[in-house]
Amino acid sequence: MAAEDTPYTPGAAPAALDGTYAGAAPADSGGGLPQFEFEYWGGQIVWLLLIFAVLYTLMSRVFIPRLRRVRETRAETIRSAVAEARRVQDEADAQAAAARSEIEQARTRARTVAAEAKARANADFAARQAEADARIAEDLAAAETRIRSLRDTAMASVGEIAVETAGAMVERLTGTSVPAADLRAAAKGAAG
Amino acid sequence: MASPMEQFEIHKGLQLPTVPLPGGLSVDLSLNNSIMAMLIAAGLVIAFFAIATSRAAVVPGRTQLIAEGLFGYIDDLAAGIIGPESRKFFPYVFSIFLFVLTMNMLGMFLAFTATSQLAVTVTLALMTFFLVLVVGFIRNGAKMYKLFVPSGVPWYMLLLVTPIEIISFFLRPVTLALRLFGNMLGGHVALKVFAGFVPTLAALGAVGIVGAILPLAGVVALTALEFLVAFLQAFVFAVLTCVYLNDVVNLGDHH
Repeated sequence: MAAEDTPYTPGAAPAALDGTYAGAAPADSGGGLPQFEFEYWGGQIVWLLLIFAVLYTLMSRVFIPRLRRVRETRAETIRSAVAEARRVQDEADAQAAAARSEIEQARTRARTVAAEAKARANADFAARQAEADARIAEDLAAAETRIRSLRDTAMASVGEIAVETAGAMVERLTGTSVPAADLRAAAKGAAG
Repeated sequence: MASPMEQFEIHKGLQLPTVPLPGGLSVDLSLNNSIMAMLIAAGLVIAFFAIATSRAAVVPGRTQLIAEGLFGYIDDLAAGIIGPESRKFFPYVFSIFLFVLTMNMLGMFLAFTATSQLAVTVTLALMTFFLVLVVGFIRNGAKMYKLFVPSGVPWYMLLLVTPIEIISFFLRPVTLALRLFGNMLGGHVALKVFAGFVPTLAALGAVGIVGAILPLAGVVALTALEFLVAFLQAFVFAVLTCVYLNDVVNLGDHH
């Protein structure tokens, strides 16, 4: 029954509106603007305060804490992931450094081994060469000795041959044979 | 043709009891289109945030991304103005920003803009004003006078500066209320007036139809501008709320 006599009835509102527009409004409303119809202020203010109180309470108690929590969780997740990544990176760096030093060591070791092998080979070679030299020198000495002895023998035979030849020549020239002892003496004198 | 002011008329809907207040006043709690617009705006904000934060995940979905975007935007704003203590006041700034923004935006879609009602903007402005006063007196007590007496100013200048500071402080709720009210009122009136030109000119015949193109283009451009204004005024309201809170939260640190 109350709905019948409210100002909401379709007929009343356009009538008031036409009145406002026709210029008759300043009499019944603030300054022509519907906003200055103060009869509606109370309701709007009270409802606004109620609505805003509900909105503020839900925001501050429910929605904002939820959003803050999820943002903090995300920041924490990112922070821990970055820390983890940094840790893994450091680990990888350390491993790379270890591998590099290991390679360096191996290289040094290989260089030492190579140098040792070279030295051993050189020593071996030198020893074998010395041995060969010694053998050659020995052979040479033996050969020289033999040659000297052969020459000595040959030289010794030369006197004999000269005596024989001289005897034969004297016999042929003079027809007399000369005793070998004389010949030998003569030869020795000639040779001397 | 309807008046450009028709859109601001309050039409009563559901009849509710009138509550008497002390002092001979009484408040009619009946629902009307302004209250409905506020209810819808707050309802939309609450519904959106309820959905967006119901399954808040570290990797956000679409609605959560928007909610977090708004959150981060206003949070950075409040932190930038108020400083490290902004967290305490952020819920208020964020609520008022979202509420004003949604009411402004609803005005672009519904027939009614709650923020074009002076009663609404005055209430919002006074809420901020009294919050600033309460926070100021709780935090600073008797030192609140420093708000009007900037330090490092010679005494003869204070004679001039202090009255100006006092006047500007008490004009804050007025400017806060009128800025939002005026922007929304003016924008919607301009839209209605330009839109009214279109059928009026078109009724004049062929020349009129050609001539109606100009106001039609104007309405399209104004609509885009009004969307900007709808956001901007909500933003300005939030920024000024932060600035006013900063004045009393960091009293003595500023200037």
